[in-house]
Amino acid sequence: MAKIKIDPVTRIEGHLAIEVDIDSNNNVIYAHSTGNLFRGFEKILIGRDPRDAVHLTQRICGVCPVSHCMASVNALENAFGYTPSDQARIIRNLILGSNFIASHILHFYHLAALDYIQGPEMEPWTPHYNTDCRLTSSQNQAIIDNYVAALEARRKAHEMAAIFAGKMPHVTTVLPGGVSVTPTSESISKFNMYLDWIIDFINNKYIPDVNTIADAYSDYFSIGVGNGNLLAYGVFDLDNTGNYKLFRRGVYTNGTISELDESLIKEYVMYSWYDNSDTNKHPSNGSTTPTPDKSGAYSWLKAPRYNGEPFELGPLARMTINGDYTNGISVMDRHLARAQEARKIAYAMKDWLLQLEPEVTSYDELTVPNSRVGVGLTEAPRGAVGHWIAISDSKISHYQVITPTCWNASPRDDNGNPGPIEGALVGTNVANVEKPIEILRIVHSYDPCTGCSVHVSRADREVISEFIVNPVR
Amino acid sequence: MEFKEKSLKRRNGSMRITRREFLKWAATSAAALGLSQLDLLRLEKVLADSSAPPVIWIQGASCSGCAISLLNVTDPTTVDDVLLNHISLKYHPNLSAVAGHMAMEKIEYEMIDKMGQFILVVEGSVPTSANGKYCIVGEKTDGTPWTMYQAVQDLAAKAKYVIAAGTCAAFGGIPGGNPNPTSVVHLDEIVEKNKVVNLPACPVHPTHLVKVILELISTGMPALDGEGRPKAFFSRKLHSNCPRRGTSRAKKIGEFGCMNGLGCNGPNTYIDCPLVKWNNGVNWCIGSNHPCIGCAYPGFPDAVSPFYKF
Ligand code: SF4
Ligand code: SF4
Repeated sequence: MAKIKIDPVTRIEGHLAIEVDIDSNNNVIYAHSTGNLFRGFEKILIGRDPRDAVHLTQRICGVCPVSHCMASVNALENAFGYTPSDQARIIRNLILGSNFIASHILHFYHLAALDYIQGPEMEPWTPHYNTDCRLTSSQNQAIIDNYVAALEARRKAHEMAAIFAGKMPHVTTVLPGGVSVTPTSESISKFNMYLDWIIDFINNKYIPDVNTIADAYSDYFSIGVGNGNLLAYGVFDLDNTGNYKLFRRGVYTNGTISELDESLIKEYVMYSWYDNSDTNKHPSNGSTTPTPDKSGAYSWLKAPRYNGEPFELGPLARMTINGDYTNGISVMDRHLARAQEARKIAYAMKDWLLQLEPEVTSYDELTVPNSRVGVGLTEAPRGAVGHWIAISDSKISHYQVITPTCWNASPRDDNGNPGPIEGALVGTNVANVEKPIEILRIVHSYDPCTGCSVHVSRADREVISEFIVNPVR
Repeated sequence: MEFKEKSLKRRNGSMRITRREFLKWAATSAAALGLSQLDLLRLEKVLADSSAPPVIWIQGASCSGCAISLLNVTDPTTVDDVLLNHISLKYHPNLSAVAGHMAMEKIEYEMIDKMGQFILVVEGSVPTSANGKYCIVGEKTDGTPWTMYQAVQDLAAKAKYVIAAGTCAAFGGIPGGNPNPTSVVHLDEIVEKNKVVNLPACPVHPTHLVKVILELISTGMPALDGEGRPKAFFSRKLHSNCPRRGTSRAKKIGEFGCMNGLGCNGPNTYIDCPLVKWNNGVNWCIGSNHPCIGCAYPGFPDAVSPFYKF
């Protein structure tokens, strides 16, 4: 039995390594996903002014800062017992929607497409793994041209966001009590011009290009199929009750959709570099105690589970749970659902923009309560994100975050269940063990965002690494 | 036009014809390939630029926000122009096509082959406790994990210049916030100071970054202040350039006016945000009626928090 290790996995956010065992026919029989960065945000937050969390937690991720900003502000407003006005809700939706679009475009063209096309013959596009380029040279060239156009499109999506966000990445204007920014007729019409340009890009470049790749790589509708479990917290509130959203929350298991019960979320750490006393905890009372030398552990990611089971998060989960996407679960389904979601959000933004009132600022100064708890559940482009806070003496006394990639790229849990990406890799045939492009395609389809580095080491030598546990048998 | 055929052949085993041959072939087959005149021009430009100065980008305890910010650049030019025409980006964790051992081989090759020549861009601070295990950049070709701590030392020793992109790399940033759980250090604590350009702000301002890269290539080290920051962008406090200076004080977030009194850090923070603004000049923090949180301040976040002084 040989091992293939990819470390670093590039074209993701963060530090991730993937290691797989393959049998004599080059089929993956075990997979391990390793998050290779720990910063300790949850410890750094303790003792600070709760309002600072909105600014600090967005710096967890520069690709989806707005989602952390929103999860944090939701958790705080939940703790403070405050409901923002329609105006603030809409401005927040517009900022978040802009970042979803920027992130989806970035993901397809700049992070994933190079697994299917051959980029320009120069760095950083050479060398590459793609030994299986199936597009005609004119299709390939068209997507390279759109790779460049997409740099402009995602940049414009950020400029659009900054109109109401102050700056991107890392939003300034959102805080408990509302938003600081005041829309004007001028800024609204500027936003609208950007949005029209971006909708045109989505309709005439992004979606056709995803379709081109899906046609050429149709076998990827049955590769990386995952465990059939999808979960979403829901996002883009359409009214102030929080019950009515553009994407509703829910749980999907093999064709059945049910209500999400937030209390069933637990994190496990048997295979993570955290103290075993941290395991099997709901994030409202979970803890995060790094133990870098713990034997048997192989990741800085914990293993979040819902009702004890691993769940896949992301655009495919949201689109499936909402009935917008019904084709299946696979590498290509993830790409198609992501592109179609970008379009759905962009059109919803057109409506929200019309609901904005020019020259109205929506901000209420709130007093930090002495002692409260709060939860903020929302979605990042790559899946559900949750923040759980407790406040004592008007300071943060507890803060736990579960990122989407923590679910998708999680290691095994205490019961030995592999994380979604680990599970999706099993059974995959690797044509060329020196350039395991199939593995990259599966991993990238989840749009992981961990500050991960992926390790692929050569199959022809024994892997000797303290970070690798033997497959659980 | 002279093409650098030798280096291309050596570095890219998959391309077996020379640049000149390839271009000739592309020109004659343009119609069959569906290439327009514009495509050919672009191709020619791309192929001619293999000798562009090499840049290696690595990430430590970061959020990738500085990499995203780079993509947002519009002034002095856009990122596609930077990548195609000004630099040769040998490795970037978010943009490189290659992964795994091929990526590591490439970094090791560039380190040796381009000794003393490349520009190293570092995003994120550098964890030092637990032998650096809190951040692994990749697995070296000898099978050992390459910690960020080791990677910075190995690469910086051979780099011509080192850019600390963003507040984390320049000053430690949020990962270095109390209690600094992974004992991060910032770059000039472990790298020869006279090689390092500090570009604080969270994220790095893309105009600062690209201008500094181009200046290092064209003329060399820019004039730096005592904190290692280019004087061109960091010589004055934000407050000195702020258009809200002298306006009536805002009593509440969201009101137009000077934010002093609500916790504005403009009076402490050296940076030119009021002049360069953000995102193609679309907006900036104070322009959206929010105080400056001092994201470019050396003590960010501890020395400038709580951000709201009310
Ligand atoms: S808003 Fe801030 S930076 Fe501007 S003048 Fe007032 S205190 Fe100074
Ligand atoms: S205005 Fe202040 S908080 Fe905003 S980017 Fe500039 S230094 Fe950072």
